[in-house]
Amino acid sequence: MKKLALAGLLAVGLTGCSSEEPQVLNLYNWSEYMPQEVLDRFTEETGIQVVYTTYDSNEAMYARLKLLDDSAAYDLAVPSTYYVSKMRQEDLLMSIDRSKIEGFDQLDPELVNLDIDPENKFSVPYLWGTTGLAVDTADIEGEPVTAWEDLWEDRFDGRVMLTNDMREVFHVGLRVLGYSGNSTNPDEIEAAYEKLSELMPSVRTFNSDAPRMPYLEGETDVGMIWNGEAVMGKDTMESLEYVYPEEGIIAWLDSFVIPKNAKNPEAAHQFISFVLQPEISALISEEIGYATPNLAARDLLPDEVANNRASYPNATDMINAEFQTDIGDDALQVYAKYWEMLKSGR
Amino acid sequence: MHSVMQQPFKTAVLILVWGWLLFLVLAPNLLVVGASVMTRDPATFLSLPLNLDAYRQLFDPLYLEVFLHSLYMAAMTTLVCLLIGYPFAWALSKVGKQRQLILIFLLIVPFWTNSLVRTYALKLILATNGLLNNALMSIGLIDEPLQLLYTEGAVIIGLVYLLLPFMILPLYSVFEDLKQELLLASHDLGAGRLSTFINVIVPLTLPGVLAGVMLVLLPAMGLFFVPDILGGSRNLLVGNVIKNQFLDARNWPFGAAASIVLTVTMAFLMFAHRLSKRRIGEEGA
Repeated sequence: MKKLALAGLLAVGLTGCSSEEPQVLNLYNWSEYMPQEVLDRFTEETGIQVVYTTYDSNEAMYARLKLLDDSAAYDLAVPSTYYVSKMRQEDLLMSIDRSKIEGFDQLDPELVNLDIDPENKFSVPYLWGTTGLAVDTADIEGEPVTAWEDLWEDRFDGRVMLTNDMREVFHVGLRVLGYSGNSTNPDEIEAAYEKLSELMPSVRTFNSDAPRMPYLEGETDVGMIWNGEAVMGKDTMESLEYVYPEEGIIAWLDSFVIPKNAKNPEAAHQFISFVLQPEISALISEEIGYATPNLAARDLLPDEVANNRASYPNATDMINAEFQTDIGDDALQVYAKYWEMLKSGR
Repeated sequence: MHSVMQQPFKTAVLILVWGWLLFLVLAPNLLVVGASVMTRDPATFLSLPLNLDAYRQLFDPLYLEVFLHSLYMAAMTTLVCLLIGYPFAWALSKVGKQRQLILIFLLIVPFWTNSLVRTYALKLILATNGLLNNALMSIGLIDEPLQLLYTEGAVIIGLVYLLLPFMILPLYSVFEDLKQELLLASHDLGAGRLSTFINVIVPLTLPGVLAGVMLVLLPAMGLFFVPDILGGSRNLLVGNVIKNQFLDARNWPFGAAASIVLTVTMAFLMFAHRLSKRRIGEEGA
């Protein structure tokens, strides 16, 4: 994905030579979360160049946007679920002018007007997805893996991968113990830490940059993954399966927001409308494997995508699923300390 | 010397140097010191009142453990660099001038590529399906791929690779200055090779060793991207803690305090370096 950002910069540099000042959209997005084709077509249609910059955690994105200075002047960002409410409440976002957005009414009614942004004044859903289990069935012997708890088995010693995401990893620990993944109770968080530290000797690596890669590289066989990464990974490695763990998956909804210090909010509105076109939304979902909230786009998807359980879970898959919520700063500090302990423990 | 230099030119140079030091060295460091004594604030990152909580937090056994482990990995890196760099620099000072230039040039060429890119390249070599494992398997040395990537060893290999030139260059300069007469005198006075090495060569090259250690040890604790890429985000360095505090935990005072510990350690090493230089200078006189 860094290549893409570079290509974007290069494009800006090249067109910078022309006499006419080209319009630029600074898009701040997760790595591997937007097909290049979409960016190219947007530029072709509108003449607006897209500078694509990536991050690999909500925390990193938030820390940069929070500065609200010129070094972090992005026109569009894509925070996950509760970060929308957090940033909205801290007055970091510009309200979105619905009259400039086409296609909002095609969005899944279940994914708009949520608590994180009751009237969607500040956010427009982009994609939603889940964090579940990845299993390389070619390298695993014995009973199939069906639950988070299975990761603790001896047979996976040194073959486990976790995402490099504090909240997600603790979510797993908490769920295995039967607690909510959004617990703010220090005792429960500590118990989850104790449980996770038993798993640590088995853990080979943490990765939130491209979580499919350690599986494809043969470094790990089992562990956590985002569903879209699993879908993309399966294209290269047929034996990589996405499993819905019994304790429940972690669900998230990523939304477009316009930061308060955006330089080109006009282009940001245009880009949101562009992505909301059913054809474009369908292309994105097909390409990167996450589920589109755009119902009109769902109808356009080829059967093998629409029926892919990894991208589009059914009702039983969603049993016990939990969306992450804002746990507040006090609990965050408790998590942060145990996270540091977990990663430095040996 | 200053009588030769034109007054306006001298003033301009001085302004440039002092301006540089004030704005790009002193001011940022003062900001870090300032941040380290403030209170963390979830909304604005930093707030009053001033206090030393961040420094107190450094003595938390957890962070002490991270610091010690980081120090251990940096020390191993330094040791390996020294073991490779010392004979390398010695040999370098022995070859002809023409070859010396070529060898130093080769030593510096990798710097033209960004260190992040080179670290990713190292990952491709160390991976389970990587170059090294494939090569070892094809010549039949091993049957199963070795697990090299995402280990402490991989982090140390990465650090050594990136920092070795910083050990070699100061050592090379002391070997260049090593007077042949002193070695001859040592032989004439009946010292054997080992005795000459221990009593003459080592003390005379000690300033270079210390300079190399300084240039390797401290950066080795700060290069956070090496554990992130080669260590699987484990085997953390102090640099990782600092980065995590600023980005993930949003505890800026603590992150600032941790980086000040590194700065103070550096200052301490430089002080030791000066002491040793002075001592050797006195002995030489």
